[in-house]
Amino acid sequence: MEVSVIGSSQVNNLGRVDLRYREVGLCSFSKNLNFAKISSPKYSGLFVGQSSISWSSKYLFPLIVKASATAQTEAAVTSEKASGTRRSEVDNNLMLYVGLPLDAVSSTNTINHARAIAAGLKALKLLGVDGVELPIWWGIAEKEARGQYNWAGYLSVAEMVQKMGLKLHVSLCFHACKESRVPLPEWVSQIGESQPDIYFTDRSGQRYKDCLSLSVDDLPIFDGKTPIQVYKEFCENFKTSFSSFMGSTITGISIGLGPDGELRYPSYHKPAKSQGAGEFQCYDKNMLSHLKQHAEASGNPLWGLSGPHDAPSSKELATSSGFLKEHGGSWESQYGDFFLSWYAGQLISHGDRLLSLASSTFSDVPIAVSGKVPLMHSWYQTRSHPAELMAGIYNTVNRDGYEGIIEVFSRNSCKAILPGIDLADEDQPKETRSSPESLLEQIIFSCRKYGIEISGQNARISGSPSGFQQIKKSLTGENAVDLFTYQRMGASFFSPEHFPSFTAFVRDLRQPQLHSDDLAVEKVDSAESLPEKNVQMQAA
Amino acid sequence: MSAVATELLVHYSLRRRTLVPGIHAYSRRAPPLYLNCTRRPLSAGPSLSSFELKAPKALTLRASASTDTAAVVESDVVFSETFSLKRPVKVEGKITIRLVNGKDEENWQLIVGCSLPGKWVLHWGVKYIGDVGSEWDQPPPEMRPPGSIAIKVDYAIESPLEKSSTLEGESFYEVKIDFNTNNSITAINFVLKDEDSGSWYQHRGRDFKVPLTEYRHDDGNVVGAKKGFGIWPGAFGQLSNMLLKSEGAENKMDFTSCESKAPPQQNSRLEGFYEEHPIVRETLVDNSVTVSVTQCPETAKNLLYIETDLPGDVIVHWGVCKDKGRKWELPEQPYPSETKVFKNKALRTLLQRKEGGTCSSGSFTLDVGLTAFVFALKLNENTWLNNMGKDFYIPLSSSRVLNKEHSQSHSANKTKESSTAYTDGIINEIRNLVSDIASEKSRKTKIKEAQESILQEIEKLAAEAYSIFRSAIPTFTEEEVSEAEVLKPSVKIASGTGSGFEVVCQGFNWESHKSGRWYMELHQKAAELSSLGFTVVWLPPPTESVSPEGYMPKDLYNLNSRYGSIDELKSLVKRFHEVGIMVLGDAVLNHRCAHYKNQNGIWNIFGGRLNWDDRAVVADDPHFQGRGNKSSGDNFHAAPNIDHSQEFVRKDLKEWLCWLRQEIGYDGWRLDFVRGFWGGYVKDYIDASEPYFAVGEYWDSLNYTYGEMDHNQDAHRQRIVDWINATNGCAGAFDVTTKGILHSALERYEYWRLSDEKGKPPGVVGWWPSRAVTFIENHDTGSTQGHWRFPGGKEMQGYAYILTHPGTPTVFYDHIFSDYQSELSKLISVRTRNKIHCRSIVKVMKAERDVYAAIIDEKVAMKIGPGYYEPQTGPQKWSLATEGKDYKVWEAS
Repeated sequence: MEVSVIGSSQVNNLGRVDLRYREVGLCSFSKNLNFAKISSPKYSGLFVGQSSISWSSKYLFPLIVKASATAQTEAAVTSEKASGTRRSEVDNNLMLYVGLPLDAVSSTNTINHARAIAAGLKALKLLGVDGVELPIWWGIAEKEARGQYNWAGYLSVAEMVQKMGLKLHVSLCFHACKESRVPLPEWVSQIGESQPDIYFTDRSGQRYKDCLSLSVDDLPIFDGKTPIQVYKEFCENFKTSFSSFMGSTITGISIGLGPDGELRYPSYHKPAKSQGAGEFQCYDKNMLSHLKQHAEASGNPLWGLSGPHDAPSSKELATSSGFLKEHGGSWESQYGDFFLSWYAGQLISHGDRLLSLASSTFSDVPIAVSGKVPLMHSWYQTRSHPAELMAGIYNTVNRDGYEGIIEVFSRNSCKAILPGIDLADEDQPKETRSSPESLLEQIIFSCRKYGIEISGQNARISGSPSGFQQIKKSLTGENAVDLFTYQRMGASFFSPEHFPSFTAFVRDLRQPQLHSDDLAVEKVDSAESLPEKNVQMQAA
Repeated sequence: MSAVATELLVHYSLRRRTLVPGIHAYSRRAPPLYLNCTRRPLSAGPSLSSFELKAPKALTLRASASTDTAAVVESDVVFSETFSLKRPVKVEGKITIRLVNGKDEENWQLIVGCSLPGKWVLHWGVKYIGDVGSEWDQPPPEMRPPGSIAIKVDYAIESPLEKSSTLEGESFYEVKIDFNTNNSITAINFVLKDEDSGSWYQHRGRDFKVPLTEYRHDDGNVVGAKKGFGIWPGAFGQLSNMLLKSEGAENKMDFTSCESKAPPQQNSRLEGFYEEHPIVRETLVDNSVTVSVTQCPETAKNLLYIETDLPGDVIVHWGVCKDKGRKWELPEQPYPSETKVFKNKALRTLLQRKEGGTCSSGSFTLDVGLTAFVFALKLNENTWLNNMGKDFYIPLSSSRVLNKEHSQSHSANKTKESSTAYTDGIINEIRNLVSDIASEKSRKTKIKEAQESILQEIEKLAAEAYSIFRSAIPTFTEEEVSEAEVLKPSVKIASGTGSGFEVVCQGFNWESHKSGRWYMELHQKAAELSSLGFTVVWLPPPTESVSPEGYMPKDLYNLNSRYGSIDELKSLVKRFHEVGIMVLGDAVLNHRCAHYKNQNGIWNIFGGRLNWDDRAVVADDPHFQGRGNKSSGDNFHAAPNIDHSQEFVRKDLKEWLCWLRQEIGYDGWRLDFVRGFWGGYVKDYIDASEPYFAVGEYWDSLNYTYGEMDHNQDAHRQRIVDWINATNGCAGAFDVTTKGILHSALERYEYWRLSDEKGKPPGVVGWWPSRAVTFIENHDTGSTQGHWRFPGGKEMQGYAYILTHPGTPTVFYDHIFSDYQSELSKLISVRTRNKIHCRSIVKVMKAERDVYAAIIDEKVAMKIGPGYYEPQTGPQKWSLATEGKDYKVWEAS
C-alpha cells in the first residue's frame, strides 16, 4: 500500500487540533501503514476479512496464449467417429462452460446481481472459459399468460455474454426450481389447482408440483392446447426472439425433459435422508388409465389396476420390499417386466416427443440441441437397480435401460448432458450401494454406440481439489466428453475457498497446451460450429 | 485498470477498516467540543492544557462510485463515471444552560437547550452526597422529565429535548429538570447526544457538570479549598470565554481569581445562572464529481474532464500512474492553467467556475502510455474529498483500438461496458504482443507481464463477484440444512475456536521470568513440543509489567518483559510456527497499572502509547477513583480495572490486539481474569482481532455445602457457560469445574462424581465441549504458587481423563518436562491417532467409588481409578494403548 499525499496531509491537518487528538490521529495513521503488512500474503490466511478477497497468486496460473499455428488446428481435428476411441488425455477440443446463477434473471425480468455477473463473466473470459450456461425458466419468460413471453432479462444476459465474447448455452426449463424459488407459470399452477392430475403422483397420492406429468403431454389441458404445443410455441418464440444470437453467441440449447430438466420421473425428489430409492409415479389419473388400457391390450387386465402393490415407499429400504428385493423380487417376474416396460416406455416416448419438438424447432439454426439424462446412481450395485427403475429407467442386471433412451437422442440428433461427472464412488454412502462411476460408464458406452455427443456437468460445487480430480478423470481417457459445464456461478463459486481450486482446475485441464510453449493461436472461428473443429483461444 | 478494479480497492479498504475501527470512526465522528466551563480544579492531567476551540477538521470523506448514474456517453468516451461526494458542512449553534429558581428557595429548575435542529437527547445523571467512586447515579423519579429513559448500563437517564421557539421565532430545543435542593444531590452531570448521528457533545472531553451544593475537595493545591464555590456567578459565561483563551499554565490563576470574585455564599444556597457554549455540528451534504475521459483520435491523447457541483474553490490534487502500480507521478509538461506543483509529488489545479452556473470544471490532456489519472479534491486547507478513503483512480486506456460498438449501449450496462473496453484492451495488447514475434524469446517476459496483469484482474473480478453474490446469499438455500451442516458453521464462523483438534501446552510456569531469557529457552524446546503432539502453545503475558510474571501490565505496547525482548518473542513465535504450533498470547485486559497519580495522589493516569486518563478506570473500585462507568464484572483489587464500556478503551484494546497479531504473529489469546468484565466485550475483541483460538480464564469457586464439594456443580459450570455465551461462543473457557471435580474424585476416591445426573461429564465439557478448555494445573493453581494444587501423584489420571475426553486439553509446562513426559506423549498420540476432538462423544461406562470408565467416539476406551474395568468386545476389538498408575487407555482395532 502506498502512502498517498492525502495521507500525509491528513496528518498535517490533524496536527492542528488538540494535542490529544493529534496522538490519536498519528496512531490511526500509523495503523494505515500497518495495514500494508496485513495485506501481505503472510496474513491473508489469518484474517478472514482479508483472505476472503485476496487469493494468493500461486493458485492462479499463467494464461495460455496460443500463437496462430495452423498445424495444431489440423491436429486437433478428429473425426466424429474416432473421437470416442482415440483420446488419451484431455483434448484441446474440450469446451469449458460455467453455469450462470439459477436466479440470474429475477421473476420481474431484471438481472439479479448484474454487476457480479458482469465481473464474473469477465473473470471467466480472462480465465479461458469458453462459455456460460443460462437457465431460462418457463415460470419467468412466460409468466403472465400463455403466449405472453417476456425475454427482456434473458436478452440482456445474452447481450452481456456476447459483449464479453463468450458462448452461451441456454437451458429451457419447463420445471420449477425450489432452490432459486422459480415456480411454474401461475396460469399453469392455477390449472393444477382444479386438475391436480396434471402432476406426477405417487401411490400415497402425493403430487409433485414442479413439473407436469408426462401423461398430459398430448392432452389439451390449456384451453384446448396440449403441453407439447405450449412447449413448442415457447421454443419457437425463443428462437425468434434470440435470432440475432443464434449460432454466434448461442451455440446450444437443452430442452427440459422433466424434474430438474432430466428425463426421469420425479421418483426421488426429497433430500436423501432415508435409505429409500423413491417411489413409482404412475398414480395420476391419466397414467392409471393408460396403464389400464395397456394391460387390457396385453391381455392381463388385472395388471392394469394399479402400480406394483409391493413396491417400497420412499421411506423404506429400497431392496426390502417384495417388488424390488434383489433376489426373487417381482421385478424379475413377468408382471414386473410388463409394468417396468410400460413405465419406462412412457418416459422414453415423452423424451422422444420433446426432443423431436426441439430438434425440429431448431433445425434451421446452427445450434446443438441437448437433453439431460439422469444419473440415478444409488443402488446401482444391486441387481434390481431400484432407484433407476422408479425413475423410469428399466435398467437392471439383466437389461440395459439406457440403450432405448440414447437411441431416442440419436434419432433426434440430440446431444446428451450427463450430470454428476464429479461424483466418485468412494464418496458415496456405502449403505446405498451407489456407483456413479460405473453408471456413467454404462451411459457413455451407450452414447458412444449411437455416436451421441456428450456434455458433462458436475452435480455440485466442488469443495475440494479431489472433486476436481474426479471431474478431470471423467474428462480424460475413453470417456472424454466434448463439453463440460461447471455448475455454477454464485457466491461459493467465487469464494476464496473455491475459486482458486477452480482456476487450478482450469489450468490443469489446459495443461497439455502449455507444452507448446507460448505458441499462440489466433482463434480460427470457423463458420462451422462443430466443436471438434474449434480450437480454443483462451485469451481471445 | 478498469472501473471495476477501482471499486474493488474500495472493498479492500472497507474491510481493512473493520480490523481497526479507529481509523474511519475518526473521520466521521463529529468532533468533540472543547470548551472550558467546569468548576472542578484545573490542575488535573496534562491533557487539559490545550484550549484551542477548533474541532478537528481534517475530514476524509468518502464517495461511493455510482456507476449507474453515468453521464451521457459520447462516441469516443472511454470512461465516464459520476462519483457521489459527501461534503462536510459545519453548522454553528449554541448550547445553553440555565439554572432558575422555582416557586420557592428549595425548588429549582435546570434548563438545557440547544439551538441546532436535530434529535437531541440529554444523557444525564446526578451525584449524591456521599458518592465517592461514582459520578453518575440515577436521579429520583420526580426529577425525570417526561419521556426520560433509564439507561441501565451506565446509570444514566436519557431525556429528549423538546422543540420550542425563541422570541425571534427561531426553533430551539430544550429540556427542563426540576429538582429540590433537599434531596441531597450535589451535582448534575450531563452530555448532549445527537440521536441522528450518534455523536456526543461533551465539555472539554468530559461531562458537563452543574454543582448544586458546596463542592468540597481535598486537593490542597487549590487556593480557597473548602470554600463554597458551587455557585455559578452570572458572569460565568464571560469567565468561561476568558478561560478558553487562556493558556493551561494560567488556568489556576484565573480560576482562583474567579473564586475570589465570587460573592461568598452560604452552603446549599443556589444562585441562578445562564450561560452559553458554542457548538459546532458537522453534517454531510451530497455533491458529486463526474469524470470523463475521451480519446482524441488524431493525437492519441486522452482528454480528461472533471466537473463537480461543489461550491467554492475546488482544487484537484492530482498525479498520474505510469504503470499498473498506484504510484503518483508527475506528468510531462505543460500543465493546465492554474496548476501548481505541490512538493514535487503532485499537481494542484484550480477548477474553473462555470459562468452563471454552480459547477466547476477542468480539463486535462494526458499523454498516451499513462495507465491512470489519480486525484483527490481539496476544498480548503482542512477538507479533502476522496473516493471512500482512496484516491480517485481513473484508468486510462492505452490501447489504440477502441470498439465503437460499446458506446451505443444503454447506460444500465455502464460498468460492464467500460470494463469490457478494458478487457478488450488487454486482449488486444496480448494479441499484439503475441502476433509480433511469437518465437522470439525476449518477448516471453513481456507476455508474462501481461499474464500477470490478467491474473490480478481475474482475482479482483472474482473478489468483486464474490462480494456481491455473498451479500445476497440469504435469499435462498435456507431450506436444505441437514444436521451435519448445522454443526459445521459453528466451527467456521466463530472465530477463536480453532479446528477442534488442538492440544494446548501452557508454555511457562510461575518461575519462568526468573532467568530473564525464557523466550530463548523455550525456543530450544519448540521442536520437542511439536513432536510431543502439541498444536498450540500458550506464552506468558508479553508486556511491560509491574510484577515480573507479567500479570500487572503497564505499557501495553512495550513488549520487553522479564521473559525476554520483543525480538526474542518474535523469533520464538516464528520458531513455533515453523514447527507447526500456533501461539496464544496471554492478554491481560481486565486491569492495567497506571503511570501517574491523579490530583488526589491516586495512581489512575496512564502513560505510554495508550495514555488514558481516569475515565478508563471503572468507577466502583474506591481504591482507584475511576471516572468511568461501573465495572461490568468482578473487580481485581490490585490494579485499576479498565472500564471496557468506554468506546475509546475498546478501540485502543482492539488496535492493540490487532497489532499483536500482526507484529508478533500471535494466532490467538489466552484472556486473563475475564470475570472482570462482560463477555460481550470479549466478543468485540475477538471479532476485531480474529484469532484462530481464544480461551478465557473464568475462575471462581466451586459450590460447597458444609465444606463438602457438591456433587452437582451445575451452577458453577453455568457461570462459565454464561460467560462463553456472552462472548457469543467466540472464545472457549478453561474448564475449572472439571478440574475441581477431578480433585474430589481422585483425592477421596469419589470417582462417581465424574458422571453428572444425565450420565455426562460433570464439567463444562459435558455441556459445551467445543468451548471447554480442560486443564488440571496452571501457573496459579500449581507451580510455586500452589493456590489449588491437583492431588499429588494423581496428575496422570487427570491427564488420562482430559486427553481422552472432548474439550481442548491443556498440559502444564511443569508436567511436560517431568517424569510424566513419556506417559503424556503416549496419551497425546492416542488422542491424535484416533482423531479425538473437542466435540467427540463420551459414553460413560462406569462411575463408581473407585473407578471411572468411558468410551470416546467408540474408538478409545479409558478408565481411571484403582477399580476394575475392561472394555467389552463388541463390534470393536480393544487393544491396550497405554497405561500407568491407576489408569488404562484402549484403542479399538
